Amino acid sequence: MDLLDWARGPLLTTAIIVFVAGVAWRLFSLWRLPASPAGGAPARQPFGTADALQASLSRMIPHRGFHPSATLVTINPYVFHIGLALVFFGYAPHIAFVHRLTGLGWPALPDLVMYIAAAATIVSLLIALLFRLTDPVLKKISRADDLLTWAVTMLPLMTGMAVVGEPSVSLLAHASPLYRSPLALHLLSLELLLVWFPFGKLMHAFLVLPNRMRLARFLGRRGVRT
Amino acid sequence: MIDMAVFKQFQDAISHLGEMAKPENLTDAERLSRAKAVMRQKTDRALAMDLEACVNCGYCSEACHFYQSTQDPQYTPTRKLDLLRRVHMRETSAFAPVHRLFTRDITVNDLQEWQELVYDACTECGRCSMVCPMGINIARGVNVMREALFEAGLAPLELMAVAQEQAGRGTVFGVGPAELLRTVDALRAQGIVIPVDAPQADVMLVSTVIDVLLYQDALAATARILNHLGVNWTLRSTGFEAANFGMLSGSESLQKAATKRLVDEALAIGAKTVIMPECGHAYPALRWDGRLDNGDALPFEVMAASEFVGREVQSGRLRLQPGDAGQTYTYHDACKLARHGGVVEEPRAAIRALGGDFRETAPTAELNWCCGGGAGTFLINRAAPLRHKAWEIKREQIDATGANTVVVSCASCRLNFMAGAETDQWPTRIASLVELVAEQLPKDKAH
Repeated sequence: MDLLDWARGPLLTTAIIVFVAGVAWRLFSLWRLPASPAGGAPARQPFGTADALQASLSRMIPHRGFHPSATLVTINPYVFHIGLALVFFGYAPHIAFVHRLTGLGWPALPDLVMYIAAAATIVSLLIALLFRLTDPVLKKISRADDLLTWAVTMLPLMTGMAVVGEPSVSLLAHASPLYRSPLALHLLSLELLLVWFPFGKLMHAFLVLPNRMRLARFLGRRGVRT
Repeated sequence: MIDMAVFKQFQDAISHLGEMAKPENLTDAERLSRAKAVMRQKTDRALAMDLEACVNCGYCSEACHFYQSTQDPQYTPTRKLDLLRRVHMRETSAFAPVHRLFTRDITVNDLQEWQELVYDACTECGRCSMVCPMGINIARGVNVMREALFEAGLAPLELMAVAQEQAGRGTVFGVGPAELLRTVDALRAQGIVIPVDAPQADVMLVSTVIDVLLYQDALAATARILNHLGVNWTLRSTGFEAANFGMLSGSESLQKAATKRLVDEALAIGAKTVIMPECGHAYPALRWDGRLDNGDALPFEVMAASEFVGREVQSGRLRLQPGDAGQTYTYHDACKLARHGGVVEEPRAAIRALGGDFRETAPTAELNWCCGGGAGTFLINRAAPLRHKAWEIKREQIDATGANTVVVSCASCRLNFMAGAETDQWPTRIASLVELVAEQLPKDKAH
């Protein structure tokens, strides 16, 4: 077994187990805490789950009239979130990887789109790091988690660029990988991300919707537009 | 007409407030233990999610008047929850044993440092939550921090003094039933009908120490409006105080006791509606947090004075005489009414009924800037310079409308506006909503 076999085999399995079990444990640990006292006062207006969901989704768009400062620009997080999603879910070899693991598949996006998305994501993450290290507010509130999370997010992108030597059609046409060691490193970086995921702020991917919906419900029944 | 001599006396009383506090003599270990006990007890699912969901994006700083006016990153709202977050991560989170290896425990020094952050530099206005991409209720976390500090005997002395007075004697600033009745007598001498201690009434009007001492015209105006509408109402001399210094200082037991006093009075007279005075925090304290002893919802409606007046205007039951069309008004949304209470449209309906030119501030309604004086911050003497800086954002916002009158519906905001105006020699008229409405009541019957 070479490094790629390890990365594709036992290490990947371990990383997925840590990811799934860790996320489940973290969510369970939140759920087991006592629920907040339910709002007993009659609501100013009916505000159901659909309203909360709508309010949560609309929170993705900043309030009109609210202009964040230059270093807290709104556009940069959009770029790396959308870029990461495109690269992970749209790149043909990634879809093939998911297909091998789960049997699920979907059409890929053109390679050019992927290259642009990956480049934009890398630049965006570098900008995010620059801001985190230089903006007084971000410097004050940052923790080790922020830098670790940044690093484990960046690594798969960087190692991924090292295996993009040919069009995805050519890469997928080969029975065995062309670049075994670089691909192993790419997989290992993904596994590092999966292992870190439950412990740090990457968990916001699972918390964002329920947390937004909870606040939307809290304020919505009071008639406060969020 | 506000008696400025009384305003000066009020300011003077505030400057000596801290001297009346009786701090508990606690060791550092006791303070820490008490604070952490509150933090642990209050960390429910919602608060834990808030603490864990933060991605440290810093957006909340953009919404905070204390950060914006100072550019001091220590005032970043999410940072105000750091001690809570550390205790939660070390003790109640999923990977607490791991976090204990890497996360430093909190100390009494931390608690002392955070006193300024959660009392002086936060009015729990909630503006940060409106822009937080993760939907974190930072104001609630700050309130839990206040509870922890209060239990640790580390609340600012001014708030401690008022809370102790309200918990002990049931009065605020020495104002009890006798002082209320003196004010009522003075207003009755002006010909205003003010029922007190009626055994039964549909509406119980609540007042507050500031109205009894300083803004007596607001009490008179509300009475005149109720009389004009033919409402069967009363004040209760043994349960008239809306201000809830339990909520402001962080004493949950006092908050419940102060609420219970009002609830018991309302139940005793069979009130269908309780109208809160122009007092921001008092509204959510009763309307949204108030419950019966058994936890059930209150069996009566709770309305803010501005909400009541606005609804009467909206329904057509209250029609005002045409006012001066040349008047230009803008409105300051008290945070506790608008952002915490949803009272947004009703005050505007009342202002539009005045007949002048109404100009919205930018931003407005739920996104309006806080004046900097809420949540008891106005009483903290050492916070005055910081508070004034925050107020400057408000002043500039009002100035940008070009309005010659700013309408307020919260006595604390009004005090802060007056203090700011006095310092800055600010010429804009600061007016109470109910007073403006009462000035334009039809003259066809006695009020």
